[in-house]
Amino acid sequence: MSTQLPASISEETVNEISAERDEPDWLRRTRLDALAALEELEMPSVIETPGRRWTNLEDLDYESIVDPLDQRDETERVSAEGAKVLDFETALEEHPELVEEHFGSVTDPQTNYLTALSTALFTTGTVIYVPEGVDAEDVKVRAEMNSTSLFSHTLVVAEDNASATILERISNGSAVDGDRYFSNLVEIVTGENAYVQYGSLQNLDEDVYDFTLKRGDANRYATIDWIEGNIGSRLTRSDIETELNGDSSETKIVGAFFGHDDQHFDINARVWHNGEHTTADLVTRGVLDDEARSVYEGVQDVGRDAWDTSSYQRENTLMLSDDSEADASPKLIIHNHDTEASHSATVGQVDAEDLFYMTSRSIPENTARNMLVEGFFVPVLEEVEVDELREDIDDLIVARLD
Amino acid sequence: MSSDQDHLKQTDTEERFDFKKDSKAAFAAEKGLTEETIHAISEDKDEPEWMLERRLRALEQFQAMPMPTDWPGQPDLSEVDVDEIVPYIRPDVDVRAGVDDWTELPDEIKDTFDKLGIPEAEKNALSGVGAQYESEVVYQNMQERWEEKGVIFCNMDQAVQEHEEIVREHFMTTCVPPSDNKFAALHGAVWSGGSFVYVPEDVTVEMPVQAYFRMNSEGMGQFEHTLIVAEEGSEVHYIEGCSAPKYSAINLHSGGVEVFVGEDAHVQYSTVQNWSKNTYNLNTKRALVEKNGRMEWISGSMGSKATMLYPSSILKGRGASDNHITIAFAGEGQNIDTGAKVYHNAPNTKSTIESKSISKDGGRTNYRGLVHIADGAEGSSTAVECDALMFDNESTSDTMPYMEINESTVDVAHEATVGKIGDEDVFYLQSRGLDDDDAKQMIVSGFIEPITEELPIEYAVELNRLVELEMEGSLG
Repeated sequence: MSTQLPASISEETVNEISAERDEPDWLRRTRLDALAALEELEMPSVIETPGRRWTNLEDLDYESIVDPLDQRDETERVSAEGAKVLDFETALEEHPELVEEHFGSVTDPQTNYLTALSTALFTTGTVIYVPEGVDAEDVKVRAEMNSTSLFSHTLVVAEDNASATILERISNGSAVDGDRYFSNLVEIVTGENAYVQYGSLQNLDEDVYDFTLKRGDANRYATIDWIEGNIGSRLTRSDIETELNGDSSETKIVGAFFGHDDQHFDINARVWHNGEHTTADLVTRGVLDDEARSVYEGVQDVGRDAWDTSSYQRENTLMLSDDSEADASPKLIIHNHDTEASHSATVGQVDAEDLFYMTSRSIPENTARNMLVEGFFVPVLEEVEVDELREDIDDLIVARLD
Repeated sequence: MSSDQDHLKQTDTEERFDFKKDSKAAFAAEKGLTEETIHAISEDKDEPEWMLERRLRALEQFQAMPMPTDWPGQPDLSEVDVDEIVPYIRPDVDVRAGVDDWTELPDEIKDTFDKLGIPEAEKNALSGVGAQYESEVVYQNMQERWEEKGVIFCNMDQAVQEHEEIVREHFMTTCVPPSDNKFAALHGAVWSGGSFVYVPEDVTVEMPVQAYFRMNSEGMGQFEHTLIVAEEGSEVHYIEGCSAPKYSAINLHSGGVEVFVGEDAHVQYSTVQNWSKNTYNLNTKRALVEKNGRMEWISGSMGSKATMLYPSSILKGRGASDNHITIAFAGEGQNIDTGAKVYHNAPNTKSTIESKSISKDGGRTNYRGLVHIADGAEGSSTAVECDALMFDNESTSDTMPYMEINESTVDVAHEATVGKIGDEDVFYLQSRGLDDDDAKQMIVSGFIEPITEELPIEYAVELNRLVELEMEGSLG
């Protein structure tokens, strides 16, 4: 590639970020390596059909929307008994070995241009550490972005037999004019028989470009469930990925998005079945209004040694406007025959008969339509264990419908 | 020995599909592809100037286009070297445009088709059989009653001479222009033979029109062109069979199929292909469907080392519809990359795609699909269903559908499933006295039934036999 190193970033910038936070040398070097790799790295791959690239990440003017030395956020962290929920700097002080061991172990910082940029420049983030056998319920990380750009890194370590339900949300605080950029890398490390449900809700202002990559490594008998709601932003590129490396591990990836105006969502859900007897369930539902656009890719990759795999995927899009566009590409890649796998995708509008039924019961047409759209998200909302996340997603959907 | 093998021995099926002839060529082009080759082909066929020009233009486009290399999971084409492939061979037949009577064919060619069961099909009073041996159609016959109604069914080279206006208008202009892809361009440059079907307004051809292609020489390319023009309100079912025995050198098949479905017309295009395991099968097939027209693609892709083929329909007129039914079988060393493309460019258009694949012994199948619903195609609907059956974990099966939806009042559904052959099903059949192979064979026959039931009985039987042979691995 292609995309140039923004002029505002140099080794000095990275050294300054690292020094200000009094970081250990390994992290400073990891950042510098990521910075150096920018020249070579590609943008995340985007689904393409002949003559058409569906999301143009390289068209972003990173130079004008990245201001690495002025990153401000307001983040509230709610812990649970027995677990540690720490901002990144504190975690480096209190658990230096834990962070060093796991940072970048699930997602290679040099996966692509945007992950490397994020690693080189992140200033905020959270480390959630759930020791062996601890059940941590209702861990919350509520972040507000208050600057032109903000880079974040979240690391979750759940040891053997530990469990955690985590809610992370990102929105904007004080108003900043113009285009902005938010980036977050999330890594989940699991021990044997660990369980993590990681819910996130993105409700950024509609002039924010948003990039997130969330990836989990599921150990034996471990379960990683992802819930993701995307409501805000101008353009969101979101990748949620689970590697089912341990035998009998499971994952569920549940997504909901609601786009209006000219919002663009590029949503990707991917699962690798590497161990035996693994199970995956991918469910995404989205609604598009006005000129909003969605691009969805779901990949179920069953490895050669993944005996006795079960893998399911569904994606449903509801279109409320003729000017919106939905593209979908659910993919199955199967190397082991001892597999039950299926995927399905549908695109449709609000069902005319349902609407007729409701209006015939004297519900005004607009109300009826809104009820049907709200109802469309129910199968997704039902999967959410954290009440606050479920209610927030629902409230945002209702607010958008009014 | 399983009872299947006994059965095959008794019926000679094994031999039927895998024999080759020492054929004498009357004219063979030099290996490789140059302007001189094109001139030579065109001259040998005594073609009009405009056709030569189209060929030369296509050659330029072919040379300018890169090989497709970066598609995720696509077959490796690095062995395809056009310079090593003889683009044109005309068998030694006296009558250039084909013979009308089966008995006039040279024995050796007749024998080949005999083994494939073509005369049987003919005897069963099917409406017509065009048989192509190497690059030329050597035999074609059409029942008179259709001829009287103005139906034309002939060899494509003959059509250029005798129905020049229709061909000039439709041949690689709006449906499959050479610029479509590298192999369409190659086809445009060196095409030879194939079928031409013209059905006038409101004529229904009640019996299927059939053609059979066979590639018999080593290291050759086959580039037959099929052009079907179905005028308003007409109806026709065209069936094509293809096969090639195996050789050590690489064969290339790069055909082109263009179908024009007029208003309210209905065309069914069925094909059972069984290429040798060293054939690269890189085809372009497309239909343009007018208002309320209906296009049906039925295909069985067997054999070949690698196939890249995505029959496509462009639904141009309001209410046009499309139906795809395909089956692919990939055994050892094979990569069958196939699928379907449908463009919904008008309101109330409908399409259904049903795709089945079987992979075995390290074979690789891929469903690659595209459904595009254009802005303004309101009230359109599409349903895509892909099922893959896998025999072992050396094999690979991928599903890569793309859906581009620009319109809200549409129904789009895609479903795909992958599964192994059910142990319980096998056990059940075994407990009823079938051996393991027969049980599996029966399950596979059931799996592909949606395809076979759409085909005339001779083709359904052939498809079943081919699957049977693949299952035995005896086509190797």
